[in-house]
Amino acid sequence: MRRSRTALSLVSGLVAASVLSGCSGSDDGASGGGDPDAPAQLDFWTWAPNIQGVVDIWNEQNPDQQVTVDSQAQGDEAITRLLTASQAGEAPCLMQAEYQALPVLVANGVASDLTDDVEDVRDAFPEGAWDLTSFGDQAYAMPQDVGPMMLYYREDLFEELGLEVPTTWEEFRATAQQVREADPERYLTTFSAGDPGWFAGLSQAAGADWWATDGEAWEVSITDDATTQVADYWGDLVTEDLVDDQPMYTPEWNAAMNDGTLLAWPSAVWGAGVLEGVAPDTAGSWRAVPMPQWGDGEQVTGFWGGSATAISEDCEDRAQALEFATWLNTAPEAVEALVSVSGIYPAATEGQTGPALEEPPSMLPNQPDFYEQAAQITETARGFTWGPNVNVTYQSYVDQFQSAVSDRTSFTAALEGMQETSVADLEQQGFEVAEGS
Amino acid sequence: MSAAATTTAPGGPPGRTPRSARRGRTPLGPTVVLVLGAVYCLLPVLWVVTAATKTPGELFTTFSLAPSFNGGLTGNVTDLLDYGDGVFWRWALNTVLYAGVGSVLTVAVSAAAGYALAKYRFRGREAVFRLILAGVLVPQVTLAIPQYLLLAQVGLTNTYWSVLLPSLISPFSIYLCRIYAMAAVPDQLLEAGRIDGAGEWRLFGSVAMPLMLPGLITVLLLQFVAIWNNFLLPFIMLSSDERYPLTVGLFSLLNQGASQPALYTLVISGAMLSVLPLVALFLLLQRYWKLDMLSGGLKG
Amino acid sequence: MSETGGTAPGTTTSGDGTAGATGTGEALATAGRDAGGSSPPRRRRGTRSSRTAPWLFLAPALALFGAFLLVPILYAVWLSLRSQQRAGGGIVAQVDVVFVGVENYARAVTDPALYDSLGRMLLYGLMVVPTMLGLALVFALLLDLPRVRLRSATRIAIFLPYAVPGVIASLLWGFLYLPRVSPVRETFLAVGLPAPDFFTSTSVFFSVANIAVWGGVGFNMIILYTSLRSVPAELYDSARVDGCTEWQVATRIKLPLLAPALVMTGVFSMIATLQVFNEPQTLSPLTNVISSDWMPLQKIYTDAFVRNDIYTAAATSVLLALVTLVLSLLTLTFLQRRAFGDDA
Repeated sequence: MRRSRTALSLVSGLVAASVLSGCSGSDDGASGGGDPDAPAQLDFWTWAPNIQGVVDIWNEQNPDQQVTVDSQAQGDEAITRLLTASQAGEAPCLMQAEYQALPVLVANGVASDLTDDVEDVRDAFPEGAWDLTSFGDQAYAMPQDVGPMMLYYREDLFEELGLEVPTTWEEFRATAQQVREADPERYLTTFSAGDPGWFAGLSQAAGADWWATDGEAWEVSITDDATTQVADYWGDLVTEDLVDDQPMYTPEWNAAMNDGTLLAWPSAVWGAGVLEGVAPDTAGSWRAVPMPQWGDGEQVTGFWGGSATAISEDCEDRAQALEFATWLNTAPEAVEALVSVSGIYPAATEGQTGPALEEPPSMLPNQPDFYEQAAQITETARGFTWGPNVNVTYQSYVDQFQSAVSDRTSFTAALEGMQETSVADLEQQGFEVAEGS
Repeated sequence: MSAAATTTAPGGPPGRTPRSARRGRTPLGPTVVLVLGAVYCLLPVLWVVTAATKTPGELFTTFSLAPSFNGGLTGNVTDLLDYGDGVFWRWALNTVLYAGVGSVLTVAVSAAAGYALAKYRFRGREAVFRLILAGVLVPQVTLAIPQYLLLAQVGLTNTYWSVLLPSLISPFSIYLCRIYAMAAVPDQLLEAGRIDGAGEWRLFGSVAMPLMLPGLITVLLLQFVAIWNNFLLPFIMLSSDERYPLTVGLFSLLNQGASQPALYTLVISGAMLSVLPLVALFLLLQRYWKLDMLSGGLKG
Repeated sequence: MSETGGTAPGTTTSGDGTAGATGTGEALATAGRDAGGSSPPRRRRGTRSSRTAPWLFLAPALALFGAFLLVPILYAVWLSLRSQQRAGGGIVAQVDVVFVGVENYARAVTDPALYDSLGRMLLYGLMVVPTMLGLALVFALLLDLPRVRLRSATRIAIFLPYAVPGVIASLLWGFLYLPRVSPVRETFLAVGLPAPDFFTSTSVFFSVANIAVWGGVGFNMIILYTSLRSVPAELYDSARVDGCTEWQVATRIKLPLLAPALVMTGVFSMIATLQVFNEPQTLSPLTNVISSDWMPLQKIYTDAFVRNDIYTAAATSVLLALVTLVLSLLTLTFLQRRAFGDDA
């Protein structure tokens, strides 16, 4: 997802280049006409590990509506193929798309409007998840898995250093300071200029809304109060050397997560799986808690990562595709299989308390109620509406914050840079941008 | 001069070593400098070999250049080979296909072209040659985008062809083949063949090709490495992992997206396993690296 | 090349090798020209088959060249004159691609980021090319000395990095650069020196350049070394008999003989510098100091594949390709004059 922007944007650029058409403003695709029981052959492009096992269940029950899995290398590279195929009018009926990749699919006329079709299953998902798949009031995909953010910390080292688990960002800062005082080799955590999705999640939790539509015009507010607060906060921590400033997902970071140089990680529910790959020997030393809060008594978090199922404009068997997408993401047996076979954290509310999630992840055997807590945290997650050029904004985050971190310049100025780049790009693409953006 | 080049193995021309060996004692300085250079060049390779012996836990916690003997190596290799239903083997096979088949075909195409440019006089020859030479100067990244778009329009992206076909044209190989043809194929031989009534294809196939062969093997090796090194083309063209070459496959293990950790131990053992055959190839074929001809073109 | 002189590019009709704007083609086209230069004009006995034969031999190469170089380049030029326009502001809207003339070029040349990246490339090139060729030359000359030990082992070792793809090489060096996983740091600390930081905004140039030098020095060394080996040994021996030291043999005899090879390797290294991409792109996620437009090709890549603006990317590509062409021609012309005198 982080580097995915490359592939994702790769696609969109290319497609835009030669497609030019297909960017349907058309309304025809939107209604769920057709007979869901008519025979159909549905292609499903996805990258979820072992998802064939889940699809097999459907195929057994629905001999007339067979779904073929075309396994993709990675989520984002799949987007490349999607846009290319769509250009040739051959996009698969069903496709898995990461939330921030969805706008590219929508803006290029690949993903179709599902608003009316998903009316019946709206309640099966938390409202925050729908925000992630909606532009304006229109929903373009059905949420599959979500990544509500939570805080992982090293229980053993916290104890050793006599630290309290922070529940507010104020306390988080104090804890960061204590860590530095107790051991100048250690940091509480790191600020990663390489992970825009992470920063977007932190900003969501603070109440940010980076994009909004005002009629036809886009309003871009990356410099809103909430985001500025987040940027200022982390900027101070970095400037005062209270947190590390190196990117995540590097060998360096792996080493720091292993040897206890970093004591905590603001991550998402899937973070437990990442820890297993990064620092397998630290199993049992971690614990996950709700994210620190900006205000006392509040309980809000943001999303980092996750994906949805979209249906293409090219799909001829829309009704059947919709039936499958609904089954995959809401039917208990399907969600159960997704969790146990593919290892995802489901977006569907009921799925989050299903039997497959009764056992804690292997990295946190010390926290038997991990998924119970995760479900509660998910309830408190607010997403936001993505804009049509998330790729540009994300790239700009990396560029701006990398130099802000390495040159120790203002994080607020970096945000302004993001804002300017995003607006300029929208205008260059020909989007209307509202005054005051 | 070039005649000497084609007959002289780097191992040492006869008549040289014995004579010099008589003179003076062995100076240590040059050898020391060369050994330092060798150490510098081998350091990362040494690192990858020791790192491949470490378990995921040890990789980031033990001294980097100290190998581990806790079964990390076998564990990593097993994990790598099991990854994605043995997709690593696919990548290795694909690499052999892209680089192996690609370089053989490139040599065939380039040899014919180089031979034509060296051994025939015809209108437009200089123009063709300059055009091809200018191709050396075009950056791959510049080409990758339009190549992708054009192949997408004929539905060839994400196929073996999308990587193989663009690899076949190598202006540099054509340039080299032209030099080799000039140096190794005497005109008199061709003229004699023509007088005997041999066709142009036969002359090329049975007179010129055998003479050019040592040079062509060098071109083959250069092109093999060039395709094997080319990352961007397959990265852009391919989206299904069963068609990846090793470089793109290993890169995809590194960049899994935020919700999955980079598989460093797999990448490291993969890097080791993929570099080692190349090392073996180098050792086996070292006498074919006759690169003096590269600059032959400029010799007065 | 005396025995091959018969064919005679020397007899070409296309001008007489005065190095000019089309110097590269000419310079390289005169490849293998016989110093004697007195090749007899080829007898006019061309049958029909030998008039069509060269084109038949060239056909596959020309077809591929057209399809995968020429057409894509023309397509890039065409793209560089166009741009995408949306009708309406919503996320779904009609998108058209329209002709915009030189607008993309205007945007490309007024973008300060382009000049920053070109400046970085220049600095990088000034570090890489002389270091790489200098080391390659030193190694080649040392290998060519009589009585050097471990000749073949060191030669293979130094050549080896050439087989390691840039992406993998960058990954390996990345591990060696990052403080917490690097043996370099541990070694420095062990001997009581402060550990070097490979990723400051200045040292990163060294770090990226080092990967290129590491990967390229062996290849260039082999070019120079095999060129040296092709020189008849008697030449040196007579010099030695005349009392020349090895140093004098190297500087007075070998260096001038290597001049053409050095020109060639220099030009190739320069072209490689202009195309530097894999190394910084692979290192970029590891550090905060390599931005997405650190080098010109990274900027093009980001424009095309991240920002979806393939039109500006195409314009920048065309500009960069022109710069490459002009620089290569100038260098070749200049070096050729220097190396061979005007009569090359």
